[in-house]
Amino acid sequence: MRILLIEDNLPIANAVRAMLEARKFAVDVATDGVAGLDYLMRETYDAAVVDVVLPGKTGFEIVREARAEAIHTPVLMLTARDAVEDRVRGLDAGADDYLIKPFVEEELIARVNALLRRGDKPVSSVATAGKLTVDTGSREARYDGLSLDLGTTEFRLLEFLARNANIAFSRSQLLARVWDYDFDGSSNIVDVYVSQLRRKLRVAGGRDVIETVWGVGYKLTA
Amino acid sequence: MIARLTAVYVAIFAAVLAGISFYAYWLIGGQYRSLLAPALDTPEGQSGYHGAMEHVLVTIVSADVPVLIAVGLLAYVLARASLRPLFEAREREQQFAADAAHELRSPLATIATVAQAARIEADPQTRAHLDTIARTALDASALIGDLLTLAREPRPGLLQREPVDLAHVVTTCAREFDARARAADLELRVAASGAIVDGDERRLRELTRNLLENALRHAKKTIVLECGGDASAAYLRVRDDGDGIAPGLREQLFQRFAGGDTGGHGLGLSIAHWIASAHDGRLELESVAGAPGACFVAKLPRLS
Repeated sequence: MRILLIEDNLPIANAVRAMLEARKFAVDVATDGVAGLDYLMRETYDAAVVDVVLPGKTGFEIVREARAEAIHTPVLMLTARDAVEDRVRGLDAGADDYLIKPFVEEELIARVNALLRRGDKPVSSVATAGKLTVDTGSREARYDGLSLDLGTTEFRLLEFLARNANIAFSRSQLLARVWDYDFDGSSNIVDVYVSQLRRKLRVAGGRDVIETVWGVGYKLTA
Repeated sequence: MIARLTAVYVAIFAAVLAGISFYAYWLIGGQYRSLLAPALDTPEGQSGYHGAMEHVLVTIVSADVPVLIAVGLLAYVLARASLRPLFEAREREQQFAADAAHELRSPLATIATVAQAARIEADPQTRAHLDTIARTALDASALIGDLLTLAREPRPGLLQREPVDLAHVVTTCAREFDARARAADLELRVAASGAIVDGDERRLRELTRNLLENALRHAKKTIVLECGGDASAAYLRVRDDGDGIAPGLREQLFQRFAGGDTGGHGLGLSIAHWIASAHDGRLELESVAGAPGACFVAKLPRLS
């Protein structure tokens, strides 16, 4: 497994490299944004760990530009600021996950492993179902050309349903696949999200896109 | 805030204007009466007087209305101008706090990361020292984060909100704490029923963890963690069977650095309180009749 680390703080870069190498990952290090983007575009990596504040280009810019060039290497952002805006910006730019510095080593390894698992099954970045397109690269969903303004979980649910169009899923299947929930409580969180998605789809002119399958759950019809 | 100040300005001016108008009306009325004095007893004189006064009233009111509108606009501009330095100062202060926190955290991040990397190849003795260094740096950094949070007024804008099931938050946190509770010879009882709130899942987990940390320090045998909801509100409750909160301490319980005696830096409950408030909810100390120990309950608006 090959990992690209883009971090300008040398002591941290060397430390993170040591942590990853101790887990038998091969690590390339870039210490500025421009070189980092260059590595990311030229070489093939299984995952990238990218600091936000970098000389040359910020982490946000690197991810956005890489995604625009159809590079879908999973990215873990490292941020020093724990602000909601930063997290949202990172995910909007196309990063897959974020970790706040300083972090516990096990946490870093767990997040990187999670990214690698996600990268195992390469999927096309754009899922299309009827008039609906969901682009995981640019994190944009459109219905009939109209952009949908979705939250993170809404986006994941719509993406999942679009990729598996015309298949009915039960609520607990959706909980397990979209939420990583491993309990089957009396929760109706799936219904809450489905009705939100339906409302947003209706605004864009999409009626009955997500169907209720009686006795089963939901499916997206294409 | 601007709207409130504008309203105050307009109210004051309206009162003054009403006073002046009334005084003018009364003064003019007097003038008319002395002018018309000889004829005032006749019906013609009476109706002439009333007609004239009606005219005066209309004139005064129609002069007042545009003046009041103009004053309203002026008051808004004035309120904005006088409050701007205040807003700017507050913004600068927050920015400074954020920058200072960032500057303080960067070296701590280096210390924590390098110490953790160094322990990979260290001998057991050195490894224990490095663990201490890393843990201390991580704690210090978390403390800075907490202080930065508490420096800001709790408001929903500081959250990343999405519908969240409290039952999920509770089961996740329970799993994290289960081993620690057992290691401390405590039983962690969990009763989670679904309750969906419009919340920041990360923050809600932090709230739950902080309450559990507190319970873990005080409980003797059992900690009860529950969540659920009725039609309007969702609740998350953490109850321990420790000595409870002394009546004198209740008032300042959620204030910064109040905790003190049994470890922890005393910000856990304040942060939990902040998180509940930011969700338009509240954190309360509940008293359960006959049950010893402390019982904290966070009440949050339920998503309809």
